Amino acid sequence: MKFSRQAEIFERARTKYTRFLASVLWRLTGDRELFTEAMQYALMGMWQHIGKLNGKKAHVYIYRIALSANSTAWRNRIGRDGQLKRNNASFEKSPDDKLDRDEIAILVRREICRLPTKQAKAIVMRYLEQQDYQAIAESLSCTEVGARSHVSKALATLKSRLAALT
Amino acid sequence: MKSEKIEEILKNIGNNDVPADVHKIAEDVSNDFSKTLTQPGHIVLGDYIMKSRFTKIAVAAAAIIIVLFVGLPFVGKKDQGVALADVLARVEQAQAYIYKMNMTMTGMPNAPTGKQQMQGTITVSTEYGMKMDMDIIDPNSGREMFQQMYVLPYKKEAYMIMPEMKKYTRMEFTDDLLARMKKQNNDPREIIKQIMGCQYTELGRSAIDGIEVEGFQTTDPAMMVGMGGDIKYTLWVDVENWLPVHAEMDIKMNEQMEMQCVIYDFTWDIPVSASDFEPVIPEDFTGFPTEGMKMPEMTEQAAIEGLRFIVELSEEYPKKLDLINLMQDIRKLKDSKTAAAEQLQQKLKEASSEEEIANRTMEIMKPIQSLGMFYMSLVQDKKEPVYYGESVEPGDGSAVLLRWKVSDGQYRVIFGDLTTADVTAEQLAELESLLPK
Repeated sequence: MKFSRQAEIFERARTKYTRFLASVLWRLTGDRELFTEAMQYALMGMWQHIGKLNGKKAHVYIYRIALSANSTAWRNRIGRDGQLKRNNASFEKSPDDKLDRDEIAILVRREICRLPTKQAKAIVMRYLEQQDYQAIAESLSCTEVGARSHVSKALATLKSRLAALT
Repeated sequence: MKSEKIEEILKNIGNNDVPADVHKIAEDVSNDFSKTLTQPGHIVLGDYIMKSRFTKIAVAAAAIIIVLFVGLPFVGKKDQGVALADVLARVEQAQAYIYKMNMTMTGMPNAPTGKQQMQGTITVSTEYGMKMDMDIIDPNSGREMFQQMYVLPYKKEAYMIMPEMKKYTRMEFTDDLLARMKKQNNDPREIIKQIMGCQYTELGRSAIDGIEVEGFQTTDPAMMVGMGGDIKYTLWVDVENWLPVHAEMDIKMNEQMEMQCVIYDFTWDIPVSASDFEPVIPEDFTGFPTEGMKMPEMTEQAAIEGLRFIVELSEEYPKKLDLINLMQDIRKLKDSKTAAAEQLQQKLKEASSEEEIANRTMEIMKPIQSLGMFYMSLVQDKKEPVYYGESVEPGDGSAVLLRWKVSDGQYRVIFGDLTTADVTAEQLAELESLLPK
């Protein structure tokens, strides 16, 4: 594809999806520094896969880009040992929130980025984007039962991992 | 935390409105990114690797070291092969010897297209190490380039000297690699030990250059422990003194990659001194990389980092872990479009010189080499490793990705999410039964 054409599609996609990416990535990161990094990775992903954002299934692919960007940003944050670098974790807290609630939310976000791709996508669409199973099934190219199964497996994985961590 | 609250926690996260300043950050990042898209095209990691001659040399140096010392594993004494045992006993009496080697390689990663030929003279000393003088012939130009390599196990280092470029590379060995090298003592002796550990056939008598010889041949895949590919190795020994006279090795790694090697012209029990194994580096030669190159580690942690690194670049696990397949995977990275790959390419793009590019490329390759070497060490140590990279998805914490035996009935497992655990044979069987068929 010619650069000018690639740039044209990118500009269109950027205008269309920046707000969506902000919404998904903010919920997945909950932290401005992490969010900014994930946003940069997402834009890079859009540029690299621009051909796929010019078709009918662009809305499906943008989730994949967002999740991949989120995972990369989290991996950079989590570090080699799989532990959060506390001194770098400037996570957002409202004064009224209890500390443990914030910490649990951080753990949940961290664990979402470690889920298998389909499970992560299913859980994000279902709980963070509050979409119905039909939309999830369409996005994952599976049946509604399959979508439920992905959500169920993701919840089970998150439960067991969080139980082990807390 | 009670685990049943997970749905509630997720809903709370989902109900978080995006603050206005976060939308502003998103807009700013998006606009800034758009402004950077002024130059058509992008830098591809593989292009850098292929274009840099420094990289080729340094990569080749590392590969040669790996092949020489990890690819020729220590094999303990075996009951079989009485005749070969006699040959081994005779060879082990020699404190120093010299031989010649002709090697032809086709389709090797990071090498020019066509057949690459190398002719070398190798001096081996039990006491001092190994010295190799090599003439490498460029298949495209036909030009010869002379290189010298010194492997000095007792100094924990190796040197590659490139007179034409007035460069040299100093490589430091890690303790685990060195421990293996000390066991191995270089070359034909280890090859004989290795054949003794394989299924081999006796070829009977023949004559080479007027010398009556007896032949041994193996095509046992065990000869290629952990490296991958098919091998035919033939060794001819003098029936008078039971010393090797001629050896041929034919390795077919895959459809593209092949290597033929002939070893001949042995002279046994030659006098050597320490000065023969002192690298001679003229003052106007510069080190490359400047601070020396550390050989990759062969630990479990280094292997996990290698797996993590490959997933970041390609979003999937490598199909196989033998060195040959991993080297091929490096080639494929040039087509990778992941954010991490792009970030690496950006790092390479920012390098200010060809040498800096090569340094960064070697750093990139190190975790992948560590992974291959760790797997190879598991195979060599007969720890029964089994790898499921073809069926396990990154992040799947319930799937066994790689496992190996640590003791009777006990196994070590790396899962798809790169966590690890020690499991019993029964637990392992249960875990493996859940893997996708």
